[in-house]
Amino acid sequence: MAKTNDDQRLDLLQGTLDMLILRILLWGPQHGHGIGQAIRSRSDDLLKVETGSLYPALHRLEKRGWLESEWAVSEANQRAKYYQLTAAGKAQMARERDRWNQMVQAIGLVMNLAPAGADVDQE
Amino acid sequence: MRPNDDDFNEEIRGHLAISVKERIERGEDPAAARRAALKELGYIPAIRDSMHRVWYSRWFDATTALEHDMRIGMRSLLRARGLAFTVILTLGLGIGANAAIFSVVREVLLRPLVNRDEDRLIYIRQSAPGLSTENLTFSVPEIRDIEARATTIRAFGDFSTIDFTMNGFGEPRSIKAGVVNGSYFEVMGLRPALGRLLHAADDRPDAPGAVVLTHRFWSTAFHRDPKVVGRTMRLDARSATVVGVLEPSVPYPTDTDIIANIVTSPHHLGATMVTRRNHRMTELFGRLAPGATVESARAELIAMHGAMMRQHQEAYPTNADFRLSVTRLRDQIAAPARTVLLLLLATAGVVFLIACSNVANLILARSVRRESELAVRAALGASAGALRRTLLAESLVLSGAGAGLGVLLAWLLVKVVGRYAARFSVRALDATPDASVLWVGAGLALIAAVALAYVPRLPSPETPAGLGPAGGGVRITPGTNRRLQVFAITQIAFSFVLLSGAGMLLASLTAMQTAGTSFDLQQVLVVDVANPVGVDGAKVIDFYQEVTRRIEQLPGVTRVAVGTNVPWRDAGRLGPGFRFTIEGYVPEAGEENPYAKFRNVSPSFFAALGVPILAGRDFTDADGRGERVVIVSQSIAQRMFPNGDAVNRRLRWTEAETDPDPRRIVGVVADIDDENVVPGPVLRVYQPLRQLPYGGRLFVHAEGNPYTLVNPVTRIIREISPEQPVERAATLADVRAEVLAPERLNAFVFSGFAGVALLIAVVGVAGVLAFSVSARTREFGVRLAVGSTPRQLLLHVLREGASLVVIGIVAGALAGYGIGRMTMSVSPNLRLPGLLPVLSAAAVLGTAALVALLMPAARAARVDVLQALRSE
Repeated sequence: MAKTNDDQRLDLLQGTLDMLILRILLWGPQHGHGIGQAIRSRSDDLLKVETGSLYPALHRLEKRGWLESEWAVSEANQRAKYYQLTAAGKAQMARERDRWNQMVQAIGLVMNLAPAGADVDQE
Repeated sequence: MRPNDDDFNEEIRGHLAISVKERIERGEDPAAARRAALKELGYIPAIRDSMHRVWYSRWFDATTALEHDMRIGMRSLLRARGLAFTVILTLGLGIGANAAIFSVVREVLLRPLVNRDEDRLIYIRQSAPGLSTENLTFSVPEIRDIEARATTIRAFGDFSTIDFTMNGFGEPRSIKAGVVNGSYFEVMGLRPALGRLLHAADDRPDAPGAVVLTHRFWSTAFHRDPKVVGRTMRLDARSATVVGVLEPSVPYPTDTDIIANIVTSPHHLGATMVTRRNHRMTELFGRLAPGATVESARAELIAMHGAMMRQHQEAYPTNADFRLSVTRLRDQIAAPARTVLLLLLATAGVVFLIACSNVANLILARSVRRESELAVRAALGASAGALRRTLLAESLVLSGAGAGLGVLLAWLLVKVVGRYAARFSVRALDATPDASVLWVGAGLALIAAVALAYVPRLPSPETPAGLGPAGGGVRITPGTNRRLQVFAITQIAFSFVLLSGAGMLLASLTAMQTAGTSFDLQQVLVVDVANPVGVDGAKVIDFYQEVTRRIEQLPGVTRVAVGTNVPWRDAGRLGPGFRFTIEGYVPEAGEENPYAKFRNVSPSFFAALGVPILAGRDFTDADGRGERVVIVSQSIAQRMFPNGDAVNRRLRWTEAETDPDPRRIVGVVADIDDENVVPGPVLRVYQPLRQLPYGGRLFVHAEGNPYTLVNPVTRIIREISPEQPVERAATLADVRAEVLAPERLNAFVFSGFAGVALLIAVVGVAGVLAFSVSARTREFGVRLAVGSTPRQLLLHVLREGASLVVIGIVAGALAGYGIGRMTMSVSPNLRLPGLLPVLSAAAVLGTAALVALLMPAARAARVDVLQALRSE
């Protein structure tokens, strides 16, 4: 695996994984591997989710009632657990997206206070 | 449904398969694709655990692990069934005994009385050790003296008992009444359960008769009928209204059926009661005045009592040794039981410790044998904590089962111990098995479990001692062996002490049961036929004469007589007696007149009991009409007239209130000790019923079964007087058995304890031997190989066990002697057991131990040489 590839990759911001999962599942049921791949491809390979974070997150969301799961045979002819949004999950997705937008806006406001084009490090 | 670890695994497996498949589709080599997919996935157990943690808390995991360990523990204990059984039984007995005794101790010593402000409630008692009278009670003039001057007592309550014949509620019955003054209930701090109690207004001479039912009497005789309040009962010739029911409270010093105001009892209004200083029948209670303490009240009252005795010397002879005691009522009730209960509690505690040490012994022996198992687990990476947890789980299973058994036993034992302790304190009867038994049992079990889990040494990584070749795992250090032996010897010693004690109790019980009596037990039926009420003396005589005459005509009846005291059952009735003298007797210088108890009897009383007249004659119907006559007991005649010339001498009572006229001695009768089960010499003066028309007890000597006479006798008496109570019919043999019941219980309780200790000790010794034998398999193999016979090995092991037993018995004898001496200095009633109980205790212990030793000894003799040698 190329080293530069790894360097370009972004670490997920704390607390955003749940929102990303919920967003991906808006397109329909998917298994864990598929969700991981979808996040990766949708982010142009910039976001990569570790399996060790993805699965506990899926189970956490399922336990809170935002997802429900079902065993089915995947395209790879392998039994896999498919996750699907519940109504509560959809509502939660909307809430988290709003919060995220506010956050982006707020942080953008703070970060853009500096004179245009000035580099933070040079101040 | 919560997903489980299988689901997590399958999910991960699916992830991996999809990932590999995608990589192959992208054109990767299958082997490389699998490697890359695995690398991308990360450490699988960590992923599975992270999913697991979402659904399951750490607490859940810990309990699951313990559950798992417990299941393993249970399975491994099932393989060691003998050990498990022994341990559970031992712990169960230890815990059961402790929990039961604790329940009684709590009830008797720790729980406060229901009486309001009970720590300011005082009980005052006059005693006379010189008359061997523990409770002499007070006379009305004495109480007046005390009441008039006491400053440390705010109010006094007095209480005296008297028998009434109650009519108006079904069968006529004689009941026991407490007669009290108006401040009694206020002083006692008691409340009514129903209606009202008695107060100052009930004290007036013109007040109507008022009666309060005790809770027990209300429950048993009236089945808790609330409508009984307001009804009228006839008590002897008067009547009184039931005004209320007393709340349940400890009846002390006597349990009565009712509590009445003074006007209900003509006796209490009479001159004898009110003016005679020697007429003592009243108990005295007091409430401390504000600021006063028990100590200050005691000091003041004892000083007053001294002054009173100096002022009325004629009423307080010095040989009677009058004394006054002032105690909190609660302490007074508990005091006789305190020593016994604490002794029992200590005994139970030691039994528990011995049980634990014994169990520790067994567990230790087992753990040494398991050392290789533990070492292998440690080597495979089990942490010390995990090993302890396994041991803890095992001991939890054991002690849990032991506690279950213990609580079950305690449930059964509480009543037995309670009844046993009731002879020392009535409160023990109220002891019930409740949640505290469970708590004590659970607590003890937990202590045992934790202690047991820490007994075995864990294999440490530095000294992999147990990692020898399979089967050679048993390593016994001299230290372990000595510890085991000390445990065993201690147990033997302790159970020897208990066995000797139990032997002593059994011996004294046997002595009591086989003690000869001077009279016929089986064929004499006794019946309480209270003195007829409301009639004069002549009518009383007529009544008893008619009763006697008609019962004598019944088939099977040989003799009928009237008396005043049923042997044993009526002990103490008619009081401590009076001083007397006989003309012609010359007392030594300074000798005071002796006390004798009097009994009223009808003619042929002695014949009905089968007691021989030794000199002179029996009473006849003519006696008591003119000249006053008496019959004296053999002890009086022998003590005062050793030459046998007592008959026809004149006896005089010398108390201030007794009739000073002389009475001619017409006969001498063999001693009848009607108060002690083991008879001793008694000073008794019998007088004809006609001379003092007061009886109350009927004696019927019969052929065949005396109980068949109960119905005809009752019918005859009721025909003569329909309101006459006829109660408590029993043969003298049964009266005696009833009186001996507490003694039997005493012997039973202590024998039970001793049996438990014996069982535990024998198990302990056998365990030590079994352990020692299995640890020395190799040694025995070598011995057999070089020519020892199995017989010699058997004897060798037996000798080893016997020496433990002998050392234990000697240690027990020494310790028991020491403890006995120490206890005797505290409570002088105790005696050291005689030689016979001690020897039989040693014999029982020795035999039991020998039987227990045979098993390990036989195992030693059966050692297979080849196998034993190969084990190295």
